[in-house]
Formats: sequence, C-alpha cells, structure tokens
Amino acid sequence: MDLGADDHVDTTSFELTDFDDTHLNLDEGRIAEQNLLGDKVSSLLTTRGVPMTQSAAGAEAKRFAISLTGLKPGSSQEDVVFALQRIFPRQTVEQIRGALTKLPLLLTRSATEEQAKKVKNFLESKGAVLRLIGPAVLKGSTHPDSAIRPTSTVVAPPRQSETVGAAAAQQGDRPYTGVERRVKPRVHPGIGIHPMGIGEILDRAFRLLRQHFLLFFFILLIPQGSFFLFNKSTQIFLGGGAQQNMSAGMGLGLGVSFILAVMVMLILQFWAQGALIHAVSETYLGHETSLATSYGAMRTRLGRLLGTMFLVGFVIGLLPALLGIGMAIAVPILATMGFGGNSTAILSVVMVFIGIFWFFHLLLNWLLVDKVVVLEGKAWRSAMRRSKELMNTRTEKGFWKRPKNKAGLILLLGFLIGLGIRLLFQVPGMLAHMFVPMSFAGLTLTMQQVLNVIATSLAAVFTAIAMILFYYDIRLRSEGFDLKAMAEHL
Amino acid sequence: METANETLKIQTPEHVGFRYVLAGLGTRSTAFLVDTVVRGLFILFIFLVVMLLARLLPEFDPTGIFALIPKTWFLALGVLAYGVVDLGYFLIFEALWSGQTPGKRMQKLRVIKVNGQPIGWLESAVRNILRAVDLLLGFYPLGLFVMFLSSRSQRIGDYAAGTVVIVERRRDVPMDKTRLRSTSKLNLPELELHISTLEPKQYQVIRSFLQRREAMEGTHRRELARLLTQRLMKRWGISPRVPLTDESFLEEIVGIYERTRKAI
Repeated sequence: MDLGADDHVDTTSFELTDFDDTHLNLDEGRIAEQNLLGDKVSSLLTTRGVPMTQSAAGAEAKRFAISLTGLKPGSSQEDVVFALQRIFPRQTVEQIRGALTKLPLLLTRSATEEQAKKVKNFLESKGAVLRLIGPAVLKGSTHPDSAIRPTSTVVAPPRQSETVGAAAAQQGDRPYTGVERRVKPRVHPGIGIHPMGIGEILDRAFRLLRQHFLLFFFILLIPQGSFFLFNKSTQIFLGGGAQQNMSAGMGLGLGVSFILAVMVMLILQFWAQGALIHAVSETYLGHETSLATSYGAMRTRLGRLLGTMFLVGFVIGLLPALLGIGMAIAVPILATMGFGGNSTAILSVVMVFIGIFWFFHLLLNWLLVDKVVVLEGKAWRSAMRRSKELMNTRTEKGFWKRPKNKAGLILLLGFLIGLGIRLLFQVPGMLAHMFVPMSFAGLTLTMQQVLNVIATSLAAVFTAIAMILFYYDIRLRSEGFDLKAMAEHL
Repeated sequence: METANETLKIQTPEHVGFRYVLAGLGTRSTAFLVDTVVRGLFILFIFLVVMLLARLLPEFDPTGIFALIPKTWFLALGVLAYGVVDLGYFLIFEALWSGQTPGKRMQKLRVIKVNGQPIGWLESAVRNILRAVDLLLGFYPLGLFVMFLSSRSQRIGDYAAGTVVIVERRRDVPMDKTRLRSTSKLNLPELELHISTLEPKQYQVIRSFLQRREAMEGTHRRELARLLTQRLMKRWGISPRVPLTDESFLEEIVGIYERTRKAI
C-alpha cells in the first residue's frame, strides 16, 4: 500500500494513513443511498466507495457494513472522534462529536472484507464498539436499517481521562498503536531535536546548509541551471542571425518550444522543491540522503505536489485578480455617477489594502502546503487544510510567537540574509566590470549571470531550509513527535 | 550527522573545562534586527530633538544668540549625533554591558573572548570598527561569507578582536512543583525501587513531556502520556490498577524520582 510518505513510516506501528480515503474509499458522495438510518446522525458520515448500482449487485454481495454501536467502558470519546476524523477527513471534529451523541452510527456499507477488518481493528483499539454486517445479511435484508441496528446499544459515559490500569489492561501486550493522525517522522535515535525559537531555526538552517552544502545547493541548482542554459542557448540561437531569417513556421515552432520549455522548467522547479524538502527532512531527522535519493523520492509525489501548488497559487492569485476586475468595473461607474477623483482614490487604497491583507493571510495559511504534500502524503484541499491547521496552532503565548508571525519574521530575516548573499555574488561582477577590458564584456556578463544563478539558488535554499525546520518545529510543539521517538526507546 | 548545536570548548590552566554554545547566523541576525530597530528609534529621537531645538530655541531665547546660529549648524549637530549612535551603539553597549547589546540581551547572546573571558573596550572597538568591512555594501555579504567558512561562526571583526558570540546557558523553565509532588496514590512498594532504576535520560523524556504538554494538541498529549505509561509499565513489569490518569501517573513518577534524588 502506498502510504504517500513511506520513507517516514514506522512499520511496527499501525499507521492511520492506511485509512486514507483513497485506500479505504470511505468518504462522502453516496449520501442518498447510504443514508441508511434515515436520520441526521447517519447522514453525517457517509460513504463513497465504488458506486453501488443495480448492476453491481455482485460486488455489493462482497461488501460489508460497519456500524459503530457504542464506546467501550473506560475508553475516551475523544480518541474515537479523532480516529473517525482520520477515516472521514472531510468531516469536522465537531460534526463527528455531534454524530456520536446519537448511536448507532453507520459508517459504511461498502467496505471490502479487508477494509472492514482494518477499520474494526483500528477503531476498536481506540475504544469503539463496532458491528460488522457481512454480505449475506446485507444481501438478504430489504432495508439495511434492520440489519445493522443493534439490539442493544452500549454507550459508556465518555470520560475526560482514563485510568492507568484500564489503559494498560486495554492495550495488554499489544504493540503500541497510538492515535497517529499524521505520518510519523522517522527520527534517528541519536539526533537532538527540540522546539526552537526563530533565531535557533535560522541558526540550524545555516548549519544544515553548511554541513550539506553540495547536496542542497545542487538540488536547487538543477532547475536554475537548466533555465539558465535554456535562456543562453535561445539567445545564441536568436542572436546568430536566425531571428532575421525566421519564417512563420520557425516562429511558431519557437513559440511552442518556449511554452514546452517553461512547462518543463516549472515541473523541474517543483521537483527540486520537493527533493529539497525531502533532503532537509532526512538530514534534520538524522538520516543520510543523496541527490539521486531525494529526487527519486519525489517521483511518486510530484503530480500531487504540482497539482496542489497550482491550486494554491490559483486561489491566492484569484483574489487580487477579482479585486482588480472589481476596480476596473467600479471606477468608470463611480465616475459616471459623479464621484470625484478623491472618492475613487480612497476606494482604490482601501481595495489595495484589503487585497494585500488577504493575500498575505492566504499565503501564510498555506505556507506549509508543499511540506505537507511531501512529508505527510496529503494533497489538494486536504493538504491545504492541514497547512492552515498547523499555521493556526497556538503552542506558545505571545503575539510574536504565533506561527504566522513567526513565519513572517523568518521570511523577512531570510530575505535580508538572501540580499546579503546576492550582494556578495555581485562583488566579482563589479570588480570584473572595473578591471576587465571591454573586449571581454560578453564573458564578464556571462560570469555575472552564472553568479546570479548561484546566488539565487543559495538564497532560496537558505529560506527553504528555514521554513522546513519551522514546519517541524510546529509539529514538535503541538504533536511532540520528538518525545514519541524518545519514548519508543524508553 | 547534523548536531543540535555547535560548541566552543575552553580548558583553563587548572584543567577545568567549559563548554559554550556558539550563536549562529540566525540568532545573531535576529539580535541585529532588534538592535537596528532600537538604533532607528534612537536616531529618530535625536532628529526630533534637534528639529525642535532648531525651531524653538531662537523663539524663546531672550539674548538672541541662537537666532544668529544658522540652521545648518543644527543639522550638522543632528548628523554628528547620528554618527555617534551609529558607530557607538554597539561599541558602547558591548563594552559597558559585558558583551551585550539590547538585541543580544533579548536573544540571550553575549560576546566573549575566545579564551572565555569577558570583552573590554579594546575588543569591542576592534570588532565594531571592522563591522564596516563585514557590512560592505550593506546586509553583511562579507560577514556572511566569512561566517559560513568559520567553524566558530566568526565574522571578520570577531577574528580581529579574538571574540566569539555565544548563547548564554538557559535554565529550563521551572515546572510547577506542586503538580509533581507525590500524592502517595501509588501504593506499590516496589515502585520506588523501579523508579530508582530510571536513567537520567529517561527521566528527562518524562519531564520534558510534563513541561511541554500544555502546548500539545489534546490527542497527541493523551497519546504520548499513554505511550510513556505503557513503556514504563512494560519495562517494570507492573500493571497497577489505580485511579490515576496517565499524566498523573507520570507526575507521580517524576515527583518520586526527584524526591529520592534529592534525598540522595
């Protein structure tokens, strides 16, 4: 089973990503025919699965229904809620909590035998009481309600905390199968990771860059270098007289080639971005990696990363575009209505401020989307939700310790340090301009361009590393995965 | 393997070793950013005072002396004050505050000599005069480059003055001791014996959890408490059925551990 982030999965523990909707096919979409209990509760958690139609009666016969009938005495309702949220990621925690107030709750009637067993084992380990209804019963029942409604419902009063003895008794000698809502980072036992402040994050980013300079640098240099080479070769081609003697066919061919090249560059850029995230994550968690491994690890996730990043870019770019269109329509209308220049100017300023605020608001909310896609295997709206959740987690008190504000500061400092790096690489070019004869101007220019590519890669690498460490820092604080890793070795 | 910190080890002639955590680019940049804001406020204040003086003094001076002074003199005074603040800010603060500026103090950084001694006026003057070289063209391009190559994260000014910037040792946030006081709910004679076998590293894991739990998401907090409890029970081969939550159990463990260590 592709867990999406297999490199990080501890095989000894039960991974919740097994229950990702793509694998289990549990999700919304077949509400009408799945609203088995016919009430508000059952309609909350619905199933998608393979569409069950009349013609698919054979397939239906092999499907199982799963009903949650209660909670085990002494179990925690919250554990069950969060476990259910993993299975039904589109439902909010509040919705699930509400659903659990009215039991029994039909989860699905289209699970395969394997899926049904997995769900049963998983949810029972969290303290849920489940009932599986086999294909024979389902097939024979005229109304599924009658088949799945339990004769007696056991609903233990949910409690805030559980006793040590009960917890231990529940677990027995079974290996630990905790509520791991996300892909578990595989931490090297000897590595020292702990929550960090902004300065420490940047310190560590700098140190990581220094220790794995060639790896990180070459990861980002590949797309930058390719783009540079493409640019240069185009310039040479067009400058070599081809531009003057170009026919219409050649022009069209060149245009198509350019569009293709831009697409390839974009793909390469995102591939490199993902590879960098993988490489930084591995080295930060104490593992070795290489250029080929990092790029290789991204092969299966590249599509998801590209799609999600385009979606994020589209949504973020949509607002300014809409505001611009709104202004373009509003200004002439206001002018015809007799409003003067001052009103229009004030409106423009207000709109610009709204646009800037929302742009940064959305940008910061989805700043971690690429990390979530690469390291947690999520994609699309699920990744965007997760990023937003992380960016709005409150783990520390104080205005400047809010994740969004911390991220803003890190980006600002990264930008300033990036400026320093770019300036440093300007120096050789400036010296060359001063001392190298004009006959070598072309060579000097090329050298300056190469240095610019290197400087851009370096500046980008530094900020990118800092943001990956920032992502881990939020998770360390809110999920304590460093402690989990250490606890495994107690 | 990447390490959490870079350290500077200093051995005294008496063979006593000290270990300092070296400040990296990030903490130093953050401190510099804070200092820049403070310097900016200083300079703004100076210019406001000079402007007020230039406007008000001639009006309220009965002798009329100030009316004779050209306004460009006031401007020159302002520029001079700016120069003093710009050049002297780091120099004076670091010399007087034993290697700290407001930004460094906020980030808990300190400049010391490479032999561990505090810096004086000379070191402060050398490292801050050479700041202009590090700052060449602005945004510290040379300073960044030299720091990148330096094993002690030193810039040119640090090399010349023989100084390093270190992170002052921070004490852990004290945990609420009342929470860790053993409530004697665990009536297991062998438990104290088991707890005495806890290694400091293992104790640190439990203690870290108790310190950080407030910041954790509810599910992960419960999960981690349960994991730690299970691990300890499995390790000790016990299964006490006591009316304690996982977290209370861990608090008891830490409380007993600290009590017994203190007794020892």
